[in-house]
Amino acid sequence: MANLVQETALTQHTTRDLLLQVRDLTVTYQTRNGSLNAIEHLNFDMYRGEVLGLVGESGSGKSTLGKALLRMILPPGSISAGQILFDGKNILQFSAEQMRDIRGRQISMIFQDPMTSLNPVQRLDDHIIEAIRVHEPQVSRQEALKRAQELVSRLGIEPRRLNDYPHQLSGGMRQRIMIGLALALKAKLIIADEPTTSLDVIVEAQFLDLLRELKDEYGLTILLISHNIGIVAELADRVAVMYAGQIVEVSDSDQVFHNPLHPYTDGLMKSIPNISLEAEHQTLYRMEGSPPNLINPPSGCRFNPRCPHMMPEICPIKVPPLTLIPTQPSSEHQAACWLHIPHDKPE
Amino acid sequence: MQSNQARRWQKSLDGAGFIRQIWRSRRWYGADWWFVAASAVLLLVFLYAALFPQTIAPYDPEAEVGPAFLPPRQAPVDIVIVARAADNVKSLLDLGGDNDAIGIVAGGQSSTALRDRENEINAGRATPIRPDISRYDTMDEMLAALAKGEIKAAIGNPAEITPLLSKYAGTAIAGPLKESSGQGFALGTDELGHDELSRLIWGTRIALVVGLSSALVAALLGVPLGLASGFAGGWPDRWLTLLMDSLYSFPGLILAIAIAAVLGPGIGNVIVAIAVLYIPTYYRVVRGQTLAIKQELFIEAAQSLGANRFTILLRYVFPNTISSIVVLFSVNVADAILTEAGLSFLGLGLPPNVPDWGIALSRGQQYIRSAWWLITYPGILIMLVTLGFSVLGESLSEIFNPRLNRV
Repeated sequence: MANLVQETALTQHTTRDLLLQVRDLTVTYQTRNGSLNAIEHLNFDMYRGEVLGLVGESGSGKSTLGKALLRMILPPGSISAGQILFDGKNILQFSAEQMRDIRGRQISMIFQDPMTSLNPVQRLDDHIIEAIRVHEPQVSRQEALKRAQELVSRLGIEPRRLNDYPHQLSGGMRQRIMIGLALALKAKLIIADEPTTSLDVIVEAQFLDLLRELKDEYGLTILLISHNIGIVAELADRVAVMYAGQIVEVSDSDQVFHNPLHPYTDGLMKSIPNISLEAEHQTLYRMEGSPPNLINPPSGCRFNPRCPHMMPEICPIKVPPLTLIPTQPSSEHQAACWLHIPHDKPE
Repeated sequence: MQSNQARRWQKSLDGAGFIRQIWRSRRWYGADWWFVAASAVLLLVFLYAALFPQTIAPYDPEAEVGPAFLPPRQAPVDIVIVARAADNVKSLLDLGGDNDAIGIVAGGQSSTALRDRENEINAGRATPIRPDISRYDTMDEMLAALAKGEIKAAIGNPAEITPLLSKYAGTAIAGPLKESSGQGFALGTDELGHDELSRLIWGTRIALVVGLSSALVAALLGVPLGLASGFAGGWPDRWLTLLMDSLYSFPGLILAIAIAAVLGPGIGNVIVAIAVLYIPTYYRVVRGQTLAIKQELFIEAAQSLGANRFTILLRYVFPNTISSIVVLFSVNVADAILTEAGLSFLGLGLPPNVPDWGIALSRGQQYIRSAWWLITYPGILIMLVTLGFSVLGESLSEIFNPRLNRV
């Protein structure tokens, strides 16, 4: 498995073709108790053909980020600052009409719960045909149906099952149909928001295999959002770690997993349950403290109240920027931690 | 075994057309299918009666065709006039004088027949006839009085009179008091001698027209309002909800009375009044469902695939509300028929001579002790139509709701 990750990482390095650049993105929610930045000054890049895993605990802003990329943040939330450059164009300046064209055709999303993400009173073929015809009205129903049939047989579903309603399918099949919707439109970027959370482990493994095959076959670019480190390790070329609305570390996935720089990443990796019987794994590691209240976040580095390596002279005072750490073997290991960023002691 | 059979049925469904799918699927839904068939047949019969009442109604619904209050399937009794042969009496017209007393036996049908005939004659005359009436306890007493000349004529049932005539010399049957059809009426007659069956058959038309069109008008207004209001949200939703809730909080019949009183009587106005009454029910149900469906993940998924708001409303939200609309519709049709009956009863609906179930019901309730058939049969018909629509609506929604699809 590690082999595969390294291989794909290599191919990705040779073709550095930027697809998505997120700059300084801030998503703000207005609440009764004041405004809250679910995502604050967030930066990251995605390259064509890569799988970027986005990990972090619940409430760290992973799903919000996924929705923000499609501009589907609903009031009382809004994107209050930043840029999302997709194929070089800032989609935050697009009209609603242009945005509808982006959704589905350019950026597609797979949701957490396949049980409820399909319309219960619509047959599966109608789902796919409609998705195709929304974006390509010139395609006839017959053609669209043919494309749908080819697509689902590629996904391992008998074409005659297209006559069925969603409730007649299993969870795994429905999730495959959701991927089919994204593939039908040849989306350049697929945002998979916890795609396997509601699937059991066997179906999950099959689904991940399928996703990997499809990725190689179609050259998909996937943003894989998950709190399950395991599936991210299995599939992702690079991994970004989120904490309290900010990305604290980005690197090739084996680097993040085996050589984490940020103390939060380190804690996250140690908290993964391990069933081996070695003495050091006898008790489950538990990070001290809990994620901060985002209405009134800690000053400086947001992780500092929980950090075992907190430096009182700088961490609570200055926000660490996400910086390339040159000492690392990987060419692109970024972290936001004063432990690794050279700094002068503030007066 | 069971699963094998299910698979065979499923297989035969692939590629079949809509009608054949319904036909083949009948076994899956158990009794539902038979409910649909039975209620559809029932409603078709009513539909036929509404479209072509003249082909099945035996009489003109607004004509007086028999004696009043004749019980179902009972032949009307003939009433004849008996007089002394010397007096040369031929009909009631010859008995209009001041001293012309007429004898009757108390407690028979003679007095109603006499009154009916008298009214009939007086209706076309400037100077009404006013015969004196003498009551007797038995037929013998009456005929004896007639033979003695105390009264000028007697009336009664010929079957009872004829055997006695030989005892009283000089008396003979002078002629019929009133020609009767001689045969009975299947559902009896009302207080004006109308044939109840014919009136009920003609009444089907009004019941169906009022029931269906008011429910349809209400649905056509309430459903889009509920969809739009629930989907859009914000202040228009709040104001519309306030308006609909205030309509809804009125007692239904009172509101209909108020509207009908403003608009005046007539079938169109009745439909409008009842439709206004039901708009809030559709609005509330559809809006509530829209609010719930709006939160579903598949709406977000459709959005993420680039569907616009109108498409989402039309293809994703609306189809998910249909099953409850169908049920509501069938219940409303039935309820509208009852409300129309209430309005007509209060004189705000249709004129009382119109053959209509509601009017029949409200007029019949005055005679509930003496003429049970006047209130029973319209009641049964309203119940049957109501039941037909409800059962059809519920069973159809059961069959076509894919979420309840048991395969």
